[in-house]
Amino acid sequence: MITAGIDVGIESLKAVVLKDGKVLARGTGLSGGANRARAVEQVWSNTLAAARLSPSDVSKIIATGQGKHDVRFAHDHITEPVADAQAARFLYPGATSVVDIGADQVRVITLGPGDSILEVVMNQKCAAGLGILLKSMARTLGMTLEEMSSLPDNSSGNATVNDGCSVFAEMDALGLLNRSIPREEVARAVIEAVAVRINSILNNKIKPAKDTTVLIGGVSRNTAVINALKRRSRINFLIPELAEYAGALGAALIAAG
Amino acid sequence: MNKQRWETRPLDVWNKAKEMRAKWQQSIDTAATERVLLAQGNVGWSIGFPALRVIEDNPVGAMMANKSDEFSRICRVAGEVMGWGREICGYQLNCWGAMYLGHQQDGSKFPMRDMVIPFPDPCDQHTKRGQAPMDYSPIPRWQENWPLYTGPRDIDREKAMIEDRVYCTVYMIEEIERIFGQKFDDERFIESVKVSGGIQPYAQDVSRFMQHIPSPLSQKDIYSFYTLGGLTKGDPAETVAFWKALRDEVEWRVQNNIAAVGNERYRWMETHPPPWHFLKYYRYMEKYGAVCIGSQYSHMMAGAFEIKPDGTWGPRAAFVGFGKDRQIKTREDAIRAMIGTEARGHRFKDDEVIRPYALNDFAKAYKVDGAILPLWRCGVGCTVTRKEQGLRLSEMGVRVLHYEGSQPGDRTDLDANRLLDQLDVWMESQGLRKLED
Repeated sequence: MITAGIDVGIESLKAVVLKDGKVLARGTGLSGGANRARAVEQVWSNTLAAARLSPSDVSKIIATGQGKHDVRFAHDHITEPVADAQAARFLYPGATSVVDIGADQVRVITLGPGDSILEVVMNQKCAAGLGILLKSMARTLGMTLEEMSSLPDNSSGNATVNDGCSVFAEMDALGLLNRSIPREEVARAVIEAVAVRINSILNNKIKPAKDTTVLIGGVSRNTAVINALKRRSRINFLIPELAEYAGALGAALIAAG
Repeated sequence: MNKQRWETRPLDVWNKAKEMRAKWQQSIDTAATERVLLAQGNVGWSIGFPALRVIEDNPVGAMMANKSDEFSRICRVAGEVMGWGREICGYQLNCWGAMYLGHQQDGSKFPMRDMVIPFPDPCDQHTKRGQAPMDYSPIPRWQENWPLYTGPRDIDREKAMIEDRVYCTVYMIEEIERIFGQKFDDERFIESVKVSGGIQPYAQDVSRFMQHIPSPLSQKDIYSFYTLGGLTKGDPAETVAFWKALRDEVEWRVQNNIAAVGNERYRWMETHPPPWHFLKYYRYMEKYGAVCIGSQYSHMMAGAFEIKPDGTWGPRAAFVGFGKDRQIKTREDAIRAMIGTEARGHRFKDDEVIRPYALNDFAKAYKVDGAILPLWRCGVGCTVTRKEQGLRLSEMGVRVLHYEGSQPGDRTDLDANRLLDQLDVWMESQGLRKLED
């Protein structure tokens, strides 16, 4: 049986095609903003082509992510934590928690027995300290996300930016640049602010276990943020190879039943 | 797919409640033309003055938030222009703004207050509500004490605290008589206290009936009734008759399994007021077969409850000599009866703060599966102890959802779409999908 999951995030789209529990193909693209439905179709079309499949070969498609309702051809929709939990259990059967750090949301999911979920904690409306801030600050600092990601974890702590508000963080960063603070130092301050923000959500209710917590989502690709977060949270995250595809994988797994 | 499990039907008493609320609203609007004094505040003894009506900002500010986002925004800005902070209670800013603008939502003249008798409250901004009307007109203002004690029960201390409130009340009555030249009618006041005492037993029955599965009423039903006899003051005999009719109808609904939500399969509770501009989230939850059975706040007319030694859910016991059996012969007796056992925080909301497991008892009594605990930044229902309560409820297996907002009367910082997303996540993570869409 061939199934698929499509994860429509605020910044990017991810599609995974599964056959008998194995990934046949995956695809990604920008989420397209106001033209999200068209972007979904494009990514889906490319993914099917990579798998050498036609749409009729896929028995069931489940969409997830904040733009899930833009996947008009999906058979069903599920919320993101349900997909994340499914993927984490599939990838790491001993997992007890999942942390999904995306462009504007961080979700901390506590797994229960069987397929159950004990708790879901999310950030509230402000996206401070999440992927979208990193992207915006990279642009402000004239750096690529890859350059930010490769910064060493040796912040002096002399430069700090607000960790509660993206707008204030950007203003702080500009203020630091105006005081001739090197942009690498400012970037490290931004990374530290991101880690502080995520760590506060990790500690919101029940802190995830030290060695059985799975980290997924686009921000898990940013080595500098993850190093800072590990240092602050003291959690040895399990990070799968295709961490940013985990939501789509979970949806595809649920479609497979 | 709508998996109807129980019969539903509208409440017969609905229109009567609507009529009583409208009558009260009318009585405020016409106070000036009837040459009746209007007080900002909420005190039970106002009925002793034949020509005095009281109006609290809670129902007015909430109603404004519900009825017109545009007008309440204009009002809040008018308040900010006068120097009041954006972070203060939305009810206040809505009402004060209308006062500064000089008109109500429908364009009619704002009924200016003649005096201020703020509702005393130990933990939020009720007591500050009188400041702007007092300064603006200016008008006289009184302030009642609300002593609060969080230690173990202490009858002597309790009596002293009640007597302090009796003293404050008598003082205010005498001052109003002196300044406005209006005679306080003790007979009328005593009679009103005796009659109004009849509301609570009916309200307690209504509250208890909601333990039934399926729940005969939902939160949005209770919100249509819970001000009658409290924040909305009408004729005491008519109000008691209403509560009796409501009680009888709800009992009948229980006997016949008439449900508030026909597909009830999940019961949830909340704390303090909802976002009044966004009541549709109750309907949204019903798509999951989820009924809100209320909160200690919305069950307020029943007073504080507790789990009895035999496991039943009943009104909190009064101290010896503080019960309903007291004789009411004088002004002071009537004031004591009105205060009841509320000193030391036996009210619903102080109960939450003082008794750490009060919400757990409520959850247990009403067999709830989940609790939605808003994190309001200020005003009514400010977030004191809310996170701790969430943790305690989680400990007993109740699923908890928090959401953030400015204040129930202020929609500025409540992200409605985000809240709906949160509700989907919350329900699906409990293995429940929508029954209808």
